[in-house]
Amino acid sequence: MRVLGIVAGRIGLLFGLPAILVAIWWLASADSEHFLFRPLPDILVAFRETWLGPRLVEDLLPSLSRLAQGYAASLVLGIGAGVLIGSSRTLRALVEPVLELLRAIPPPALIPLIGLFAGIGDTRRIVIIIAGCVWPILLNTVEGVRAVDEVLADTCRSYRVRGLSRLRHLVLRSASPQIMTGARQALAIGIILMVISELQRTDRGIGYTVEQFQTSFRYPEMWSGVLLLGLLGVALSLLFRLADREILGWYHGLRATQKESR
Amino acid sequence: MALRFRGLWLGLAGLIGFGLLLELIPRVGVVSDRYLPPTSRILAELGEAAGADRLWPAVGNTVLTWGIGLALAVVAATVLGVVIGSVRFLRAATASTIEFLRPIPSVAWIPAAIVLYGPVRAGTLLIVVYAAFWQMLVQVLHGVVDVDPVARDTAHSYRLGRWARVRWLIWPTALPYVVTGLRLAATVALILTVTGELFIGTPGLGAEILRAAAGGAVGLTYALVLVTGLVGVAANLLFRAVERRSLAWHPSVRAETPA
Amino acid sequence: MRRKLAALLTSSLLLVAAGCGDDGNGEDPGDNGGGQPTGPDQVTVGLIPIVDVAPLFLGVEEGFFESRNIEVTTEFAAGGAEIVPGVESGQFDFGFSNVISMFLAHASGLDIQVVSNGNNSTGTEGEDFGSLLVPVDSDVQSAADLEGATIAANTLSNIVDTIVRASIRNDGGDPSTVEFVAVPFPEMEAALANGDVDAAFAVEPFQTLIQNNGVGRPVAWSWVDAAPDLTVAVYFTSGSLVEENPDLVSRFTEAMQESLAYANDNPDAVREILPTYTSLDPELASQVILPAWPPEINRESSEALAELALMDGLLSEPPDLDSLYP
Repeated sequence: MRVLGIVAGRIGLLFGLPAILVAIWWLASADSEHFLFRPLPDILVAFRETWLGPRLVEDLLPSLSRLAQGYAASLVLGIGAGVLIGSSRTLRALVEPVLELLRAIPPPALIPLIGLFAGIGDTRRIVIIIAGCVWPILLNTVEGVRAVDEVLADTCRSYRVRGLSRLRHLVLRSASPQIMTGARQALAIGIILMVISELQRTDRGIGYTVEQFQTSFRYPEMWSGVLLLGLLGVALSLLFRLADREILGWYHGLRATQKESR
Repeated sequence: MALRFRGLWLGLAGLIGFGLLLELIPRVGVVSDRYLPPTSRILAELGEAAGADRLWPAVGNTVLTWGIGLALAVVAATVLGVVIGSVRFLRAATASTIEFLRPIPSVAWIPAAIVLYGPVRAGTLLIVVYAAFWQMLVQVLHGVVDVDPVARDTAHSYRLGRWARVRWLIWPTALPYVVTGLRLAATVALILTVTGELFIGTPGLGAEILRAAAGGAVGLTYALVLVTGLVGVAANLLFRAVERRSLAWHPSVRAETPA
Repeated sequence: MRRKLAALLTSSLLLVAAGCGDDGNGEDPGDNGGGQPTGPDQVTVGLIPIVDVAPLFLGVEEGFFESRNIEVTTEFAAGGAEIVPGVESGQFDFGFSNVISMFLAHASGLDIQVVSNGNNSTGTEGEDFGSLLVPVDSDVQSAADLEGATIAANTLSNIVDTIVRASIRNDGGDPSTVEFVAVPFPEMEAALANGDVDAAFAVEPFQTLIQNNGVGRPVAWSWVDAAPDLTVAVYFTSGSLVEENPDLVSRFTEAMQESLAYANDNPDAVREILPTYTSLDPELASQVILPAWPPEINRESSEALAELALMDGLLSEPPDLDSLYP
């Protein structure tokens, strides 16, 4: 009996507020005559008709694929360059101001320029994603590599742990919590840029489709796209959480023990 | 002392080297100078724009939109964060909602913002505030929750009232998180400000970049992008300074790595 | 630190100055219906900063609006898709958009009313303000050669792809084989030069720029192919403004028609005013081909356009021109 109560309580906390909010939305919009704020039932119907069909493959997949490619490339570039720069004080001092300037440029501002070089196809959209994602990863990697514990580094030197081994077990592992922080920020930025890179400039994709609905004044369909983007954001966030637990399980455990012993 | 100067000189060398690279590449012909004007031409365009009457209002608009959006988001997030963070029930009840709303990309609201507000500040503020708010809220929640149990018990023993507890217990603990949150929120806010200006048409640097690009003025486009970057750099420096000042007293506990 | 403070202060001051010009939200002109002269009617017009809307600026300069007790504030938007909802929501009193956008908005149930002509094709092949361009060294000699090609248009599922298909169809080709990609006008030159697209439909000033830079040459004039003397864009307002203040709407229409006629007869004046609201420099302004600005809407051309849109599947039923047009 007690257990049932606890479970019910948990479910209540989990779904309570969302359920209330959705109910309010439904009721408030049900009779809406406003040209933009269409009734929620209409939006849900539009959602089913628009997305649960060929568009899933024709539009959702290309967008996600570009995001994945851009994100992966950012990881490789960011971590690679980050390790190099973080390991050399001279190099760091040399490139720091240039990097500060480049990273301060909001990626959307670069879009007209990227268009001049990268053509009009997927390359350009992926470059836009990289232009934003690489910076959190790069800078956090540099920080993480810089902050490698002195004692551990000395230990490695005494035991003659060098090269690839040192890179893998000392540098990357020490820096991994910091790198993951950067990766998480990069994911949020990546989703934003995925959508932006498609606005006005493609013929397939989620961002493009939502924009098309807006420019054709089909607002229920437009909102259904917004809903889809929300679901996408949540799904990717969950995926990241899982990956984080896998990769940094050791770190979280360590931190937890430290906290308890304080 | 000598080391610090060395760093400064190296940095300067890096910047100049970068500028030289961008000067040479188009001149040598690796890339057409219609798509990548040499640095000298970009700087010349910048100088010209600085004297004309479109640049400074645009900078002002961008900074203002960014500032207002950030302020709104930060205040709302701090207040909500402290309230929610301090009450266990609220934390549990809102967790799922926050986790769902937070990752919704702010740009999803662009079409709605366009339709609702059109090319004015309000539309961009919508997406700026939305994005910055969540960045800040998460950090504030972390900060409020991170209160040291011993300190909390001490406060309890001394029967500190609610307000005193917030002021002496919660706020100092949360401050590093708040400052980090501020920095993250500011970065995101600037990105979305420019995004709004580019896609919604709100007046500002983004709109100017679009206008220059639309007129085929490539050199000016580059110059404006540079200015946008400089605004970002100024913002970063500002927040770094704020961080240093406000956390001067904070023991570098967070920087310590476990032995 | 002081420098930063100074910068912030300067920006705020500039912003106040800029803000005074930005906030052009017109008051509800309905208040002036009482017949009491409380000063000129303030109207806000939503526009795109392009060559097509020069007559409005010219008309304001020449006092055509002032003489009818109207004070015009212009607001620039990125595209027609913003202007229509802006008018619908009352943010703009009047707006400028192309005819197909009007059809689409009408079909979606938005309450808008066309009031005046905006701009027309010159009706002359070889000399119009927009054309279908191919790279200079391309094999394509006429529109029919573009079967199976990739063509750049600035917006998809709107007027450009409709008229380009008409060009291909008129020349004896099959338009269903063509693929359109969205490319903003400023990026079309690079797209043509790099071979990313086989053709691009560009309007002024890009049409001129592309040819000046030796990147492309025109093979078809799609405004002409769609219909003779095509009305490309129009000025419109919301149905509610027509109801609340029909007098203002008719005065605006008159002023607009006078401005259009004036612009049509005074191309030099148009070229002079272009650099003031676009980023065109005077030299480019003197080279671009101007649209035609007849004061009356060419209704026949709109019907032809509607036919094309129906054929292409852009519209599912013919628009009710009687209720949409004046």
